[in-house]
Amino acid sequence: MSLPSAEVAADFKDALQDLKINSRPEISNLTIIAKENTEHAQGISRELEKHIQTTRPEWKLPALYVLDSIVKNVGTPYTLFLGRNLYSTFMSAYAIVDASTRKAMEGLLKTWKQPVPESVDPRPVFSADVTRDIESALIKYRTVAIQQQALSQKQALQHAIPPRPPVGAPWRHTPSPSQTAARYTPTNDPRRQQLPLRDQFPPAPTPPPNHFPPPQQQRSFLPDMQPSIDLNKLNIDLDMLINTTKMEWASNPGDSHIQQKLKALIDLQTILKSQQLPPDQIRMIQQQIIQLSPAPAPTPPVSIAPPPYVTSIPPHMPGTSSWEAGGPVMGFHPPPSVRTPQPAIPPPGFDPAWLSSLLTSSTPTPFVSAPPSFPPPALPPPAAPSLAQLLQQYAPPPTPVAPPQPTPIGSADWLLQALNTHKLLPGTPSNGNDVELTTASIAKKSRPHLISKLYEALPNQCVTCGRRFESSPKGKEMKARHMDWHFKVKDPDVAKRGVHRDWYIGERDWIEFREEDEAAPAPVSNGTSAGGPAAAKKEAKDQYIHVPTDAALVHAPCPICQEKFEPQWLVEANDFVWMDAIKVNEKVYHATCWEEYSRGSGLGGGRGTPDSILGKRKAEVSSNGLYKKARTDL
Amino acid sequence: MTALPGLSLPGLSLAPALAPSSTETRTQDLPAGSEYRFEVPFTRTLRLRILSGTAELFGTELAPNSKDAYTLSGTKGAVYTWHGCRLELAGEPESEYVAEETQMTSYANVHFALENAREKAGAQKEIGPRVLVVGPENAGKTSLCKILTAYATKSGRQPVVVNLDPRQGLLSIPGALTATTFASVLDVEEAGGWGSSPISGPSAVPVKMPLVYQYGLGSPEEGKTFRPLVTRMALAVTSRLEEDEQARASGCIIDTAGASSHGKGGVYENITHIISEFSVNVLLVLGSERLYSDLSRKFSNRPSEEPISVIKLDKSGGCVDRDETYMQQLRQSQIRSYFFGQGSNNLSPHTHWASYSSIKILKINDASAGVGSSFLPGDDDDVYGSTTASIYETVAPSPSILNCLLAVTNASMTDRHEAIRDSSIKGYIYVADVDETKEKVRLLAPLSGAIPTTAMVMGTFPEDVSGLVG
Repeated sequence: MSLPSAEVAADFKDALQDLKINSRPEISNLTIIAKENTEHAQGISRELEKHIQTTRPEWKLPALYVLDSIVKNVGTPYTLFLGRNLYSTFMSAYAIVDASTRKAMEGLLKTWKQPVPESVDPRPVFSADVTRDIESALIKYRTVAIQQQALSQKQALQHAIPPRPPVGAPWRHTPSPSQTAARYTPTNDPRRQQLPLRDQFPPAPTPPPNHFPPPQQQRSFLPDMQPSIDLNKLNIDLDMLINTTKMEWASNPGDSHIQQKLKALIDLQTILKSQQLPPDQIRMIQQQIIQLSPAPAPTPPVSIAPPPYVTSIPPHMPGTSSWEAGGPVMGFHPPPSVRTPQPAIPPPGFDPAWLSSLLTSSTPTPFVSAPPSFPPPALPPPAAPSLAQLLQQYAPPPTPVAPPQPTPIGSADWLLQALNTHKLLPGTPSNGNDVELTTASIAKKSRPHLISKLYEALPNQCVTCGRRFESSPKGKEMKARHMDWHFKVKDPDVAKRGVHRDWYIGERDWIEFREEDEAAPAPVSNGTSAGGPAAAKKEAKDQYIHVPTDAALVHAPCPICQEKFEPQWLVEANDFVWMDAIKVNEKVYHATCWEEYSRGSGLGGGRGTPDSILGKRKAEVSSNGLYKKARTDL
Repeated sequence: MTALPGLSLPGLSLAPALAPSSTETRTQDLPAGSEYRFEVPFTRTLRLRILSGTAELFGTELAPNSKDAYTLSGTKGAVYTWHGCRLELAGEPESEYVAEETQMTSYANVHFALENAREKAGAQKEIGPRVLVVGPENAGKTSLCKILTAYATKSGRQPVVVNLDPRQGLLSIPGALTATTFASVLDVEEAGGWGSSPISGPSAVPVKMPLVYQYGLGSPEEGKTFRPLVTRMALAVTSRLEEDEQARASGCIIDTAGASSHGKGGVYENITHIISEFSVNVLLVLGSERLYSDLSRKFSNRPSEEPISVIKLDKSGGCVDRDETYMQQLRQSQIRSYFFGQGSNNLSPHTHWASYSSIKILKINDASAGVGSSFLPGDDDDVYGSTTASIYETVAPSPSILNCLLAVTNASMTDRHEAIRDSSIKGYIYVADVDETKEKVRLLAPLSGAIPTTAMVMGTFPEDVSGLVG
């Protein structure tokens, strides 16, 4: 593509970014840009498609209107370029927008099957084969929806309780759960599109057994399902799951399965924290979490299910392969790119609160052999592909086709694979960091899983300065030392002490200087920590005394050189000290001055004349042999 | 020299009294991936605190639920959030707005690309990536360096940050060139936003240990001491990286002056020089298509040499032009905080009277600068060898040196001028007063004790600061 084309496309993209409402002037403005730049139609179309796929759900509709306006008012070549990917553009948007938007989108689709109004051209806006694919996907969607509803309706009747919305219907949109009649009007009811995810698949010959426990159960658990949408709760559950998995891993570090699972979970957490997800998606993730949670052996869920259903579960259910082969999963033939975030509602037996209590109470040991031990009977199968699809939405270039997941759902492998498939964990498995030092690799591609290395991977944060630590025992130790350091440097009297800036260190010293981390384990030797050449000439200079409290002493200079002492903060002493100082007979001298003097005066076994100005002196100054450094300025 | 009892002057001549900012607080919600941009003049303050979520200021994560709010003054900055956050703000910035379009994704990607390179280097025990950031003025070069440095330290690295932009100081005052290993969190409140060099007392944010050289001019393009200094610094930095096992794989990050990116007819002598001296292998070109084109043509395909990754980055929409008034205020505040500290870190410098005869001051020889550069265009080896004794001229103390800053070198007065030029410095002293009749000068030094008798060099940049001492 030539450079100007890229620029035009970039301009177009910028203009698109601002389009957040259905604004006629903005849309016609964008249409005009497109019209005036038909030679760059390819670039513009690509930007538009990209925008529709990546923008927030609530901004997708205006962008789709731009698409609509362009194809109707400008026509070719845009119809060609946009038609190519229309299926994925349309369906990926359809899958995550709300009901009213879906309805509007269906309206759009309808007009695309017809010629442009008032046009002489009798051909439809988009060629029939483009729209047909979308149509059939929507029809499938609808069919399943109806069947699903009929099923739940039947069940409801069977158990002679008032009709309820289908399991998984969006509670938040149905103030009253008893609008059953509407459910049978497939075309206009917005809730029709809000069906549980599994409804997009042809109905399983038999519904997964424990999906539909007796309504009594359903009822009793319903009150608990509402709060399950709560994001906080989800985060807590996820945290717990991560912690449990970490413990598993800690007790079994060699197990790559656990490691992978942990990684997948942390990535999921990142997505959760870094993206604002619609409530239904959150609910769905929660569902997934619950499944991944080390539910204690398969018994509890089964015991909730009514006896007749239990029998339909093969006794050797935990074997994942059998699940794959014989389970209801086989029934799915997901239309490749229909992505719905709609949660498969938990079988009512799956009260999250109940599960999380299990979670906390369960000991990690039974789950060391993690993946296979996840109890398949507890899994409402449809939830799995739905998370895959959910994740897919956050794949940087949204891949339109979601390949069916052959891996046993619910296992760590599966989650990892889902993440991998959708490029959430691109590149090298070692650290997931695929960024290369090229303009293309760096430009604008969002990699939330990498950002989490700066945040979630280091969850243990110091509230004073924001520094983060790992949640491992090592990280905890480091944080403890770090907090100690904060405490040490906190000195309310600093201002009074006359702190000053030090001279900069010289070249050689700098080269030999090593940064010290206050959170690192204590250095082997305190004295030499500053490193290098200073260490050799330390002895005399390193002597220090705490700054005297006696006012007379504080202001007295060194009797030998007449220079005053400089208070300095010494971490080891945790106090202000006078370095290079020594107290002799109630007087404070520079240790180096004293050394020089005492050597000259023969004190402590040196040579020279015995007496001098100081008169009385005793053997307080010991080990003169240590003193090496001479003060040349005496 | 007589060292009179040190005059402790904390609080004297500090920054102009800050206008009392209103205590009224407001909250600001930032959606994930957006940033709050603000400009606070030196006369006002902005206090900010995170109520929930996470936020970072140029890559440095702000502490959560901190009891003490961050206080910013004389700052043009942006608080970015990856996850969304709620901020509590107090004070009146000159301007503020929330932007959703940022370059943070690209900048973070640079960090992760560098991390890959560091990992590779670490495995082979080689020196990590040498990153050079170039671009025109006010393109956000220093901000990018801060982000990369902050992310690197957060990732447990210790990159050496080299400042080759004399217009603003990095852990020192403007006019200085510095190299510093960053192993701890940046101090976002400090003038310049990097942190503080060592002081004699405790510091709430760990101090950084810079290696400082005196350049003393406002632009790397004027004068001929810039390139020899780059050579010298590269030597020191490379030695450090070779010897320091913790820092080695982290490599270095080099910030440059916008002036270096102007070039003459597509030739960028200083950039070329920096690249060869520091063996730069990652070149980040910020906000200039032309510069990118010129440099990638020159450096992308160098047969027989280590390849350089030339990467184009967009300028952030938050970059604002900093006018000369602001830059001058920034310089003054950096000089003040060198002597007096900033915020809660009040420092006590000392003043001394010294006789004319006891101080010897050198000044860059302006005349020779012009001659030298025309004779020796860009040839450093010749600069070393042939132009002895013409780099500096001696300045006799006189009232003309009042309010000047003198760089105290580690070289002796009797050393060759090249040695003085290449010497790192101990620090700065300020000529607070000149008594012509008594032939004495009053000097403000950061600490008490005898003023070193080494050579002192006076620059023409930064400009004189009047009234630093009352």
